[in-house]
Amino acid sequence: MKLGAFEEMVLLAVGSLGEEAYGVAVKELLKEKTGKNPSIGALHSALYRLEEKGCLTSSEGGATAERGGRRKKYYSITSAGKNLLEETNKLRMEFARNIQGLNLSGSD
Amino acid sequence: MGVTDSDLKPPRFGENFLQKVAKSDLLDFVLGDLEELYRKRRQQGLSKWKADSLFALEVIDVCRPFILKKRSNNSNTNTMIIKGLKVSWRNMLRQKFYASIKIGGLAVGMASFVMIALFIQEEMSYDQHYEHGDRIYRLINDYRDPARDYGKTKGTDFPPQTKEVLETSFPEVEKSGRLLPHDWFDGGSGQFRRKDRVQSNYEEGIAYADPSLFEILEIPMVYGDRVQSLSQPNAIVLSKSKADKYFPGENPIGQTIILNENQDNPYVVGGVMEDFPSNHHLQFDFFITLYERQFWPGEQTNWCCWNYNTYVMLKEGADPRELEDKLLLIRDDYMVKYQEEQGDAGVEDTKKYLFLLLQPIKDIHLYSADIWDNMPRGDVSVVRIFTLVAIFIILLAIINFVNLSTAKSANRAKEVGLRKVIGSEKKHLIFQFLVESCLFATIAVAIGLVLAWIALPLFNDLANKDLSLLGFGWGSIPMLMGFILLISLAAGLYPAFYLSAFSPLSVLKGNLSRGSKSSVLRSGLVILQFTVSISLIVGAILVHNQMQYILNKDLGFNKDQTLMIQGANSLAGNGIDVLADELASLPEVVSTSYSDYMPVTGTKRDQNNFWLEGRSQIDKSVSAQRWGVDVDYIETMGMQLLEGRDFSNMASDSAAIIINETMARELGLKDPIGARIENWQTYTVIGLVKDFHFNNMKEEIRPLSLVLRNWGANVIVKMNTDNLTETMKSITAKWDEFMPNQPIRYTFLDAAFAKMYDQVKRTADVFTAFSILAIFVACLGLFGLSAFMAEQRVKEISIRKVLGATAQVIFNLLSFSFLKLVAVALILASGVSWWFMDNWLADFKYQIDIEWWVFLIAGLLTGGIALLTVSYESIKAIFLNPIKGLRSE
Repeated sequence: MKLGAFEEMVLLAVGSLGEEAYGVAVKELLKEKTGKNPSIGALHSALYRLEEKGCLTSSEGGATAERGGRRKKYYSITSAGKNLLEETNKLRMEFARNIQGLNLSGSD
Repeated sequence: MGVTDSDLKPPRFGENFLQKVAKSDLLDFVLGDLEELYRKRRQQGLSKWKADSLFALEVIDVCRPFILKKRSNNSNTNTMIIKGLKVSWRNMLRQKFYASIKIGGLAVGMASFVMIALFIQEEMSYDQHYEHGDRIYRLINDYRDPARDYGKTKGTDFPPQTKEVLETSFPEVEKSGRLLPHDWFDGGSGQFRRKDRVQSNYEEGIAYADPSLFEILEIPMVYGDRVQSLSQPNAIVLSKSKADKYFPGENPIGQTIILNENQDNPYVVGGVMEDFPSNHHLQFDFFITLYERQFWPGEQTNWCCWNYNTYVMLKEGADPRELEDKLLLIRDDYMVKYQEEQGDAGVEDTKKYLFLLLQPIKDIHLYSADIWDNMPRGDVSVVRIFTLVAIFIILLAIINFVNLSTAKSANRAKEVGLRKVIGSEKKHLIFQFLVESCLFATIAVAIGLVLAWIALPLFNDLANKDLSLLGFGWGSIPMLMGFILLISLAAGLYPAFYLSAFSPLSVLKGNLSRGSKSSVLRSGLVILQFTVSISLIVGAILVHNQMQYILNKDLGFNKDQTLMIQGANSLAGNGIDVLADELASLPEVVSTSYSDYMPVTGTKRDQNNFWLEGRSQIDKSVSAQRWGVDVDYIETMGMQLLEGRDFSNMASDSAAIIINETMARELGLKDPIGARIENWQTYTVIGLVKDFHFNNMKEEIRPLSLVLRNWGANVIVKMNTDNLTETMKSITAKWDEFMPNQPIRYTFLDAAFAKMYDQVKRTADVFTAFSILAIFVACLGLFGLSAFMAEQRVKEISIRKVLGATAQVIFNLLSFSFLKLVAVALILASGVSWWFMDNWLADFKYQIDIEWWVFLIAGLLTGGIALLTVSYESIKAIFLNPIKGLRSE
């Protein structure tokens, strides 16, 4: 299974939001972390694909007035999704390790 | 300025729009997110206008595939199709008899349709392959004189210099090229050999052409260059197959060819071209160059004689319609001028009636019915008729489907009722029935393709074609799918709506047997089927009768027991005269004659202008054939001399002429004998011959004259055919004495005559075959319907029998309802087919009358077949034991 770059970001965002991962929340987190502002269309499209791939599951949450009485769809990461993230990361590290002068510790 | 709550709501259009286009159940969540964002933006102080714009952009951005379609894990389309297929399949197995009639009819219809489609595709594929095809045209002359009604008014022949004028006077013309396709000099057919061989072979398909014609027609070359190969005097180009025949395994360029034993005029091979594809409007194997050729002194610069087919290639962007108007310059500056110089009285008519047209090369094959070009052509009306027949047959099969489906509806009514009770929507039921018709159509198409594959060799034989299922190519597979869908819809739509409309209440109460009731539509469709079938039969009978009429009409000459030995023009000196005399001395031979000209197509023609003596500047000319014949021609051909005398070998007869009745009439001669007429020389009329048919019988007999000439290509042998093999042996032996290096080639006159109508006959045969198929399909449907009716009325019949009804009564009961329909169809069909056939026959100058008995026969035939079909079920019903019919329930 393949994971696109944007899909990976969305997956990471959903995972890090825990219980609170619904459309607008994910969008705002992504904006905060990456500086880019994904559109609702692009975001839901990715969420849809990720659910199809089995990386996410969803549940419906309560309606609020600020949403015009509409429900929220909460996403949470599945173990398959986690595995996929681990795999992707492993692959990245394997490559990165061979690049000289690359700082992988995460600290500056 | 405070922001009220209603200000925080995004505009309604976003929701309205998305709810229209989006199918996914994710929509609700997405809309919620959008609204939440909007509200946030407004609360952050973004102006309403900006927030609205952003919102609009986002709404459009949301329209992605995921939201436009239904979520697949929630969709039941696939399940429905699979389920539908399963149910349809079970239904089909349960109703094997009706299913096989439905499918069988459709399959036969499909097979016919496929074959006709192949035929039509081939007819339409002529001359579609040129790279610059939309710029290639053939020049046509149209002489619109209402007084000269000969059927075809258009011609393709032009004076030799037309090409030059086209190229120099019209900037729109890129190049022009001429073709001389006539039996002229070495053109047409002749004896062919390499210079270094002795044995000559007969070859056909020889024509003269300009080098530029090769460029215009984009003729692909095997050896040599397209332009160079004909660009030297006496060059000849061979087709690949002929080059392989005479020069196997070598490059023949530079080799010398002798035609018709004429050693003084050898030809040099300039190149080899690919064989013409079968869908090319020209079919030649040899091209002799027109480069620096002059058939007689001054021929190339004279505007007298119209012999050259002229093709043009226009420059890009040139408008052919505009050019046609400009082309009248050729008429006015050259053709009219020539006539004026000659003092021709016809000049005013030429100015008034002659027009020059450009025929696109792609149209030549199908749209040349009104053009004289002496080559076998297709006919767009045949294509249209066959298209109609194909559609009819499919239509008949579809009607079967609809009829049987609605008739059998009673059996499905319970199913429909129950489904509805359980909660099936109407659209699901419609879908179910459409899936069913789709399944049937698919099976039928598959069987139909196999049938077509089996029957194609037969069809090829019948139509003299070389068609293959592969002719459709891969590109046709989507078309085939589309076609299956189309048939499924056409056949399934009505039954689907009809069946799904049942009210569950009345169905389940059990008082519904709508099968036998709503039969108005069914009767209407049966009438339609039989109208089509009877019309086709009437058509087939009349076409057949017209053919017989033509083949057996009194032609004005006797075509029986007459042998035509061809290719005798290569005999030197007066050899042909001696040969004819010696052949005449054989015991079985009645008489012999020789001539270039015969009253069958494919032999020479010589059109001339005649006037009464001294009136060529005053009167309009009479255009007439002038045939050179020998003294025995009229007698050998069995023609009838009405007045005057036949030719004799007197020296004075070299200026004698015998004319036919039509010519005497057009010249205005009441008493033709002794009259003097002229064209290039003056003749004295010595005889009047009864009109005989010398062209296709679609045309009227035209003026014709005979003059004495002592050479010719055909030896005509009238003989006693009692002992044909022996006679032919001695004739062949005699020929070999004269021509040891040229094998004898002959044909019987009646065979040559029949060949003239070969194409019409083939069309008629194909038409008949498909008419039979059509009536087969119609009867198949009738068989199914009658079986169903008998089944429906089994209780009624049983009770009648118990009460003492005779077999006769029951038979009538079951059969008459159908015969009534056939009778109505007969009345309708008579009108329709009369109209159609009247139009078709109008094409022939000599035609049969449409007589009433034809309709009667067609009606009786159809009625008889229908009765036979129905009576099988009636008889079954008659012999049914009433106990069996009544015991249940």
